[in-house]
Amino acid sequence: MAAVIERGARDSRSTFAKIVNDERNRSIFWQVIVFGLIGYVCWYLFTNTAANLEARGMSSGFDFLGTNAGFDIAWSIIPYEPQDTFGRVYLVGLTNTLAVSLLAIVLTTILGFIIGVLRLSHNWLISTMAAWYVEIFRNTPLLLQIIFWYTAVFSVLPRPKQSIDIGGIGLFELNNRGLYFPEPQPGDLFWITMLAIFVAIATVYFLAVWAKRRQLTTGERFPVFWTSLGILFGLPIVVFLVTGSPLAWSIPELKGFNFQGGTSLPPSFLALFFALVIYHSSYIAENVRAGILSVSHGQTEASYSLGLKPGWTLRLIIIPQALRAIMPPLISTWMTVVKNSSLAVAIGFPDLVSVFMQTSINIGGHAIEIVAMVMLFYSSVSLIISAALNYYNTRVQLKER
Amino acid sequence: MASVESQSGDVIVFTPKASKPPPPTTVGVLGWLRENLFYSWFSAIVTFAALYLIFITFAALYQWGIADAVWEAESRRQCLDASPHGACWAGIIVWFNGIIYGRFPLDEQWRVDLGFILLVLWLAPFWFPRLTGKIGIGITAVVFYPFLAGYLFAGGERGWFMQTMVLLAVTVFITNWLHIVVSMVTGRSLREWVVGVTGFADKHERLHKYPMLGFQGIVLIGVYLWLGNWSVSEVNTNLWGGLFLTLLISVLAIVTALPGGVALALARRSHMPVIRVSAIAFIELFRSVPLITVLFMAVTMMPLFLPPDFQLNKLVQAIIGVCLFAAAYMAEVVRGGLQAVPNGQYEAAKAMGLTYWKSMNLIILPQALKLMIPNIVSNFLGLVKDTTLVSIIGLYDMLLMLKAAGQNPIWIGLHTEPLVFGAIVYFILCFAMSQYSQALERKLKTTR
Amino acid sequence: MSEEVVLSGGEEHIASAISEEVVITFEDVNKWYGEFHVLKDINLSVRKGERIVICGPSGSGKSTLIRCINRLEPHQDGHIVVNGVNLDANVKNIDAIRSDVGMVFQSFNLFPHLTVVENCTLAPMWVKKMPLAEAEQIAMKYLERVKIPEQAQKYPGQLSGGQQQRVAIARSLCMNPSIMLFDEPTSALDPEMISEVLDVMVELAETGMTMLCVTHEMAFAKKVADRVIFMDFGEIVEENAPDEFFGNAKVDRTQLFLSQILAH
Ligand SMILES: Nc1ncnc2c1ncn2[C@@H]1O[C@H](COP(=O)(O)OP(=O)(O)OP(=O)(O)O)[C@@H](O)[C@H]1O
Ligand SMILES: [Mg+2]
Repeated sequence: MAAVIERGARDSRSTFAKIVNDERNRSIFWQVIVFGLIGYVCWYLFTNTAANLEARGMSSGFDFLGTNAGFDIAWSIIPYEPQDTFGRVYLVGLTNTLAVSLLAIVLTTILGFIIGVLRLSHNWLISTMAAWYVEIFRNTPLLLQIIFWYTAVFSVLPRPKQSIDIGGIGLFELNNRGLYFPEPQPGDLFWITMLAIFVAIATVYFLAVWAKRRQLTTGERFPVFWTSLGILFGLPIVVFLVTGSPLAWSIPELKGFNFQGGTSLPPSFLALFFALVIYHSSYIAENVRAGILSVSHGQTEASYSLGLKPGWTLRLIIIPQALRAIMPPLISTWMTVVKNSSLAVAIGFPDLVSVFMQTSINIGGHAIEIVAMVMLFYSSVSLIISAALNYYNTRVQLKER
Repeated sequence: MASVESQSGDVIVFTPKASKPPPPTTVGVLGWLRENLFYSWFSAIVTFAALYLIFITFAALYQWGIADAVWEAESRRQCLDASPHGACWAGIIVWFNGIIYGRFPLDEQWRVDLGFILLVLWLAPFWFPRLTGKIGIGITAVVFYPFLAGYLFAGGERGWFMQTMVLLAVTVFITNWLHIVVSMVTGRSLREWVVGVTGFADKHERLHKYPMLGFQGIVLIGVYLWLGNWSVSEVNTNLWGGLFLTLLISVLAIVTALPGGVALALARRSHMPVIRVSAIAFIELFRSVPLITVLFMAVTMMPLFLPPDFQLNKLVQAIIGVCLFAAAYMAEVVRGGLQAVPNGQYEAAKAMGLTYWKSMNLIILPQALKLMIPNIVSNFLGLVKDTTLVSIIGLYDMLLMLKAAGQNPIWIGLHTEPLVFGAIVYFILCFAMSQYSQALERKLKTTR
Repeated sequence: MSEEVVLSGGEEHIASAISEEVVITFEDVNKWYGEFHVLKDINLSVRKGERIVICGPSGSGKSTLIRCINRLEPHQDGHIVVNGVNLDANVKNIDAIRSDVGMVFQSFNLFPHLTVVENCTLAPMWVKKMPLAEAEQIAMKYLERVKIPEQAQKYPGQLSGGQQQRVAIARSLCMNPSIMLFDEPTSALDPEMISEVLDVMVELAETGMTMLCVTHEMAFAKKVADRVIFMDFGEIVEENAPDEFFGNAKVDRTQLFLSQILAH
């Protein structure tokens, strides 16, 4: 009897404790708290912002994108006039950012692979030099490097009159206003050459497929690389000559104090580009080195002992395996290049952050909308790049185990 | 089998042959050269080309930086007159103080030095072998040091809160070091020692905290009598700058990023969807945008977000931006550390019946933190480099001081030398840290 | 360690078919790693079809010796002649030798990014310019011989250690080598997998293959070897027929080694 009563009493006492200690209830409780907290912070910021905007008589919304920007942009890939809208400014900034980033990504990857391979060179002097290259450029801030290239290299070049003639052929002129080089001006029949380029690319593709199949069926190999090179260059050149060289070049020429004709890249572009390429190549080099070293020496020995020559060993055994280790960090370095191109703002190169986040906010306000749009751009790029990374990872993992 | 000698009986005694020296061309300096620099005619050409490249680079650097350099001048003009193609180190000598301390008043710069020395003294015990209570010392550094340093740097009137925190900080600093000294001398912790001296040793365990509290109270009273009325003059934050500001922002960011990163990482691993999604959104947003946009956001949007009567100065805005940014990156470092803790540890903690927080605090986090240290160091290194971005929004960090030199009317055009000097300073800092981080990583690998 | 392994097909020594033709000759070979003298005055000749087991304590230079045969390691002094070709820095010679000398490693060294059958067809296709169909046919033939044809489409990471080592043997055999080198092929394996690999090696011996085998599996040595070589301090201390070697070793060092290894 006593035992039953006691048990009943304990049960009633612990109903509350039971509810509190139930894992599900606890979890809901904490989530409500966090949700409420985030909601409160958002509400607090929102009311403050609304009050502030009203007090300053500022409007909000995206209507400003249709209004006149009224300022000039020093360099753009797509045409731009000061009368254009803020929406156009966004596009100009975006394309400029993408242009410099893409160019830098291509070059930095190539340079990074070269330095990374040199880092593994059997020649002690070469590998040591490559190691110091990596250490020096990795361990100084990128912004300092950008400013160095800008103020200490590209801004102190001679005036246009004393331009440095790169290659000594009068086509590439470097001076304190930038790099001047010939601009192609396609004639009427140039489309045939363009067509020939596409045909050449298609031919090379099918050649590769054919050569692979031939090796599989007969064992005979075909010198795909050199033939492809020949086709890729030969066909367009022949077509180009046959159609009567329908391409004129506008060559930069010194007229008075400046160059006329041709096209040019401003010093800010060159500085940003050089700094981005060199800085990130040191990261890629380290990553390439680690990737190659991650393939054990036993793989090389096994390949050699099967009679595969060093070149084939590299191509068939080392590189495919090393790439698995190299690709993921490589792709995230590409992302970093896109993000770091925003440092352009420090030297006045008109990238997205510079023209939109700085100049546009200064001139037209609308900080919130503009910040949101800029962040949207970078987040989308990041999403696309990480989607690519995920795709690569799943594809590789599917094959492995 | 020349070395096998026949003996009486049919067992042959084996005596190993003496090793012969290798062919002289394969060892020593000559062998090394052949092996590493001249192993084929092609490598020989490459070696000579590389040597030539190194030679012309260093010759040019020597010519510019040493042979033709000017060490004493009053203006850039004088430098150029003395040697048009040499480095003007005279300018760096003049600007040196500014590059290190920004525009911090000369007479007050000892406060910056003192603040830095205190930090070093506060953290030095971490490298002492066989010292107990390191975690406690670390927590006091995070909780109390910022106030002490903040007061040292900013100075001025102390409100009751600042007064309390500064006095507490000094008290804690003193007891920390008493603890260290006592531990070194007696091998017991300060607490045990105080308990022993006051005769509480045979009392109940629960009472042991009182003598220690009393002891700290006495130290606090001493500190109050000593420093209660001590004050230093106010230095406006817009005078802060140079390397000092760079390190200040990086240290603050890493110190706040640690707890922030741990919280975010735990939230990201949480089973509660609201918490997990919020953490992921925060982390991924801040990791996908450039720091400069975060800084612009901080300076353009924070004034809108906060009530008009509560506005922050630019330094605080920038620091908040950098801290949020650093926390998002730290969260990923912590997540990596948590993942590196073997699964068995989680299961063991569960099997012992520990609650979530107990198992995290006692078992998982200490192990994860140890694994994370190399990454935290390299994260800090990244922050030191990234802090240069505050110069874009107009804070006089080291980079902007370097640029300011070349814009001063007397030194106008002095761009290259300050940047080279700054690059060397940054390089030394970052290179040392990256070597340290790599050494730690190697040590972790071998001890595991 | 040797007693546990049971080889299928009894213990008695399998018949050997040694011809007079000498395929490997070491002539006063010396090798150094830096200052360290690893191989001292090695003289050895191996005839076609001969099966040699090399044993000795760790660090005695066994691996180094057989790795010199396909020049994974260069030697600094003396001559090594394989199949009538003198091994020197000449790249052409090295390629020719390597495709005719198969090697099996302690750590398998399969190519993890290729399937089992691709592992086997790679070298025939690239070195011997064989069409895929033919290479695959040969690969399957040898995979059957090592008793794992059903694993052909898997990746090495999906196989057990014993299976991986058998793939590695098949991969070498696909090049149709005239000499096979084994460097402790079973010492990275769990005990239950050792015999499956040794069985494959015994069968290979029955085909009359010239084999040089670094191993401490004494049952295998007794059954297969025509000659057992004992090395220490970079020297060949004793070489003898297995009966003599195990029953009646002449050198004290060998006796000590054998007593240690059999005491396990
Ligand atoms: N690449 C190398 N560089 C320097 N020394 C080496 C190298 N490879 C091996 N050695 C040394 O040469 C000696 C012989 O090595 P080897 O691998 O031939 O021995 P082993 O008889 O195969 O031993 P184990 O039974 O352990 O495999 C060892 O002392 C080893 O330390
Ligand atoms: Mg060995």
